[in-house]
Amino acid sequence: MWKFIVRRLMIALPQIALLSLIVFIIALMMPGDALTGLVDPTLDPAAIAAQRERLGLNNPWYVQYGDWISGVIRGDLGQSFRYKMDVTELIGSRLVNTFWLSLLTTVITYLIALPLGIISGRYHDSLRDQVITGYTYFGFATPLFIFALVMLWIFGFNTGWFPTGGSVAPGLTPGTWAYVLSKIHHLLLPALSMALITTVSTVQYLRSEIIDTKQKDFIITARSKGASESRVYNYHIFRNSLLPISALFGSDIAKLISGTIFVESIYSYPGMGQLFVESILQRDSSVAIALVLLFGIANILGTLISDVILSLVDPRIRIK
Amino acid sequence: MSFLEVKDLQVHFPIRGGLLNRKLDVIRAVDGVSFRIEQGKTYGLVGESGSGKTTTGRAIIGLNTITSGQVIFEGNDLTENKNKRLDVRKDIQMIFQDPYSSLNPKKRVLDIVAEPLRNYERLSRNELLERVVDLLEKVGLTAESILKYPHEFSGGQRQRIGIARAIALKPKLIIADEPVSALDVSVQAQVLNFMKDIQKDLNLTYLFISHDLGIVKHMCDEIGIMYKGRYVEAGTTEDIFNKPQHIYTKRLVAAIPDIDPRNREKQKQFRAEVQAEYQHSFDYYFNKEGLAYPLQSISATHWVAMPEGGS
Amino acid sequence: MEAIKLDIKKEKKAHKSQTGLSILWREIIHDKLALISLIFFIGITVTVFVISLVLDLDEIVRVDLFAIHEPPSRTFWLGTDYGGRDIFGQLIIGTRNSLLIGFIVTILTGVIGVTFGLISGYFAGHLDNVMMRILEFFNILPFLMLVIVFVALVPKYSTVSFSLIMTAFLWMEIARIIRAKALQERELDYIQASKTLGTPNWKIMFGHVLPNLSSLIIVILTLNLAANIGLESGLSFLGFGFPEDTPSLGTLLSYARNPQTLQDRWWIWLPAAILIFLLMLSVRNVGEALKRATDPRQRRG
Repeated sequence: MWKFIVRRLMIALPQIALLSLIVFIIALMMPGDALTGLVDPTLDPAAIAAQRERLGLNNPWYVQYGDWISGVIRGDLGQSFRYKMDVTELIGSRLVNTFWLSLLTTVITYLIALPLGIISGRYHDSLRDQVITGYTYFGFATPLFIFALVMLWIFGFNTGWFPTGGSVAPGLTPGTWAYVLSKIHHLLLPALSMALITTVSTVQYLRSEIIDTKQKDFIITARSKGASESRVYNYHIFRNSLLPISALFGSDIAKLISGTIFVESIYSYPGMGQLFVESILQRDSSVAIALVLLFGIANILGTLISDVILSLVDPRIRIK
Repeated sequence: MSFLEVKDLQVHFPIRGGLLNRKLDVIRAVDGVSFRIEQGKTYGLVGESGSGKTTTGRAIIGLNTITSGQVIFEGNDLTENKNKRLDVRKDIQMIFQDPYSSLNPKKRVLDIVAEPLRNYERLSRNELLERVVDLLEKVGLTAESILKYPHEFSGGQRQRIGIARAIALKPKLIIADEPVSALDVSVQAQVLNFMKDIQKDLNLTYLFISHDLGIVKHMCDEIGIMYKGRYVEAGTTEDIFNKPQHIYTKRLVAAIPDIDPRNREKQKQFRAEVQAEYQHSFDYYFNKEGLAYPLQSISATHWVAMPEGGS
Repeated sequence: MEAIKLDIKKEKKAHKSQTGLSILWREIIHDKLALISLIFFIGITVTVFVISLVLDLDEIVRVDLFAIHEPPSRTFWLGTDYGGRDIFGQLIIGTRNSLLIGFIVTILTGVIGVTFGLISGYFAGHLDNVMMRILEFFNILPFLMLVIVFVALVPKYSTVSFSLIMTAFLWMEIARIIRAKALQERELDYIQASKTLGTPNWKIMFGHVLPNLSSLIIVILTLNLAANIGLESGLSFLGFGFPEDTPSLGTLLSYARNPQTLQDRWWIWLPAAILIFLLMLSVRNVGEALKRATDPRQRRG
C-alpha cells in the first residue's frame, strides 16, 4: 500500500515541477511582468525597460525561475497590478467563496446522483428509469453556461427568488445569522445550476455500475442464500457500486474548476473563477498566472487522491 | 549442415515490480532448447500448456525476443545482428492456432491471402488475382471466395485460408502452432492430411507444435518432448512411441486412448505400471527444482533427460 | 480471368464485413430518435451553409444606429442587437461558424488522438510508458484556463489559432481510448500473422488495426463533436472564442452577460441558446445510438 502511494507521489511531484515550468514560460510571454506584477504594461517602452532592469527581470531565465519558485513556496505570489495588493491576499479572499460554492455544489451533486442512480439502476428499463435516463440525456446535451444563464434569467430576474449577483447582501455584519443566510441565499442558485448539470455523469455511472454488479455471480449467490431483496441492494450491490464512484472525485475537481469559471462569471460571484476571467481581460498577469498554477496543482492533487482511493478500493490497481 | 538448427535457445520474460519498476526476476519460458530439423521432414514439439513449445516456435520466427542461443537457418544465424535484416521471413512462415483471431475480420480473403505477396513481390492487379485464386484452389477453396469476409467461412475453411496465406511466398519452413486444436475433430483429419499433401507438393518442412500425441504420431518424423521450458526426451517417432524412456514421456504415451478393444487389458496394465513408476521415481527424473536434467544420448537418434551417470 | 474481374464490382456488394459501418447505419435507421436527430442536424447544417452563401456578411455586421435593440418584426425576424445588427443573420452565420469550428477541432483532435493512441498501444512497452506519462501530464493541466490564457496571448489571433489551441488540449481522451483498444488488438493472432508475413509496422497499425477500430472512432468523434460545439460557444460566451469579426452562437449568448439584455431582450440570446442545445442534443442522440450499435449486448436492430 505505502509502496503504491510513494510510487504515485513520484509521478505527481515531477508533474508539479513541470507544471510550474510551463506556467513560468507562459508568465514570461504575458504583458507586463506576470511574476511580480510590479510593471505597468501600459507605460511607454523605455520606462518599462528601466523598471525591468531594476526588478532583476533581465537576469537569465533560470535565476528568475529560481527567484519566483522560492517566492511561491514561501507564499509570495507577487503583486496584483490592478488591485494594488498581494496576490496571495487577493486570492485568499476569493478562495473562501469558491470553496463554499464548490462544497455546496459537490454536496448537491451527490444528493441528486445517489438516489437517482440507485433507482435507475435497480429498476432499470422501468418508467422511472426512463425518466431519469431522459434527464441525463438532456443534462449531457446542455452546456453548463447556457443552463446557468437560463436559471439566472428565470429564478433570478423573472421570479426574483434569488439574488442576481455577488456573494452576500451589502450592509450585513459578518457573523450574524442574517449574514450567513444571505451567503447561503447567494450560493444556492449557482451551486444548483452547476450540480444539476454535472451530476448527470455520476448518475449514469452509478446506474451502469449497479446494472453490471446486479448480474455478477456473488449477487446471484447472495440471493440464492436467501438474502432479502433490500439486503442484496443495500449491502451487496450498493457497496460494490459506490466504491468506484469515489474515484470520480478527482475528475470532479477538474470539472468544478471549469464550472466555477463559467458560473461565477454569470452570477458575478466573487470567487477565483471570476477573478481569473477578470484578470485576463484586465491584463492583470500576475493574478492570472498564480491562479493557473494553483488550479493546476489542485488538479494534480485531485487525481492523486482519486488514484489512492481507487487503490484502497481495488487492490488490483496497486500492482501496475 | 542442417536445414534448421536451434542451439541452446533461451527465452526469458522479465517480472517487473517494486518501487522503480525494476526487473525483479525472470520467467524462463524456454530454458536451453536444442534440436535440428532436416529439410522435408516434420518435427513435432510436444508438451503441456506452459511448457514453452509455442514460445520456441514464436522465437524462431521472430515474434518473441531471443534471450540467448542460436537459431541457424540454412547456415545463417538468425540471432546475429547482421542477419537481422536478412529476410528469412519469406522462407519461414507460420500457421496459427486460432483460425478465428488469426484472420483480420475487416479484410476480404483476397486481401488476406495477397498480403505477403504485396509485401515481397511486385505484381500487377491481374497477376495478383491469378496467384490468389491459384492458392485458394490449392487449399481447396473456390475462386468465388476471394471477395468474402472471414466470418463467412467455417473454422476448417478459415484454417485453409491461413494455410494459403502461409504458402503464398513458397516458404521452406512452416511453423504450425497447434494448427488443428481449435477445429472440430471431424475436420482435424481433413486439414492434417491436406497439410501432408502440400508438404509433398511444395517440399515443405514443418515444425509441428501440438499437445496431442495422437496427431503428432500421425504427422511427425521426429519428436521433442518439452516440460517447463526444457527438453525431457527427443527422438524419432519410433523411439518415442515404442521405447519411451523418461517417466514424463511414458505417462504421455500411456495416456493416448486406444480404440481397439482387444488391447484394452494391455493398455490398462501399461498405465498401472507407468503410474506406479511415476510415484516412486519422480525425484529420480527431475532435479530439486522439478526441472528436467540435460539430455543424454542413448542411441544415434534418441536422447533422454537423465541425471549424470544414470540411464 | 476476365470473368472474375467483371464479377468483382457486383460481388463486392454482396459481402459485408461483420463489424462494418453497415451495422452502425442499420442501428440509426432502427432508432427513430437518432434518425430524426440525424435528419435535423443535417438539415440545419445544409440550411445554414446554403443561406450563408446568399447572405451578405457586410450587411449583417453593419451597425445601424436607427435600429438598436429592436424586437422581432417583419424586417428583423429575430430583432436586432445593440448595434442594430440583424440577429437572424448573425444566427445563421454564427451557427455556420460554430459548426465549422466543431468539425475542424473534432477532426484535428481525432487525427492526433488516434495516431498517438495507436502508436502507444501498438508498440507498448517502454515507448507506451513514456507516451502515457506525456498524456497524463496533459490531462492534469487546467485545460480551460490554459485555453483562455493562450487565446489572450496569441498575437494575430484568428480562427486557425483558435482551433489549434483547442486541439492542443483536447486530444487526450480519444488517445487513451484508442491506446487501450490497440493494446488488446495487438495481442490478436492476425496482427502476429501480419508481422510474420513481413508487413511493416506502420502498415499493420494503419492498415490492419485502424479499420478494426473504425466504429469506435466514429462513436467517439460524434460525441466529441457535440462537446466541442458546446465548448466553443462557452469560450465565445466568455469572450475567449472566435475573433470579434467572426460571430458565433457563443457571441450572441455573450450579449446576455449584460443584465438588461438577459432580462428584457430575450430575442438576442435565447434563439442561440436553444439552437446550441438542439444541435448538441441531436448530435449526441446519433452518437449514443452508434455507441449502442458497437456494443452487441445493447444492439437493437
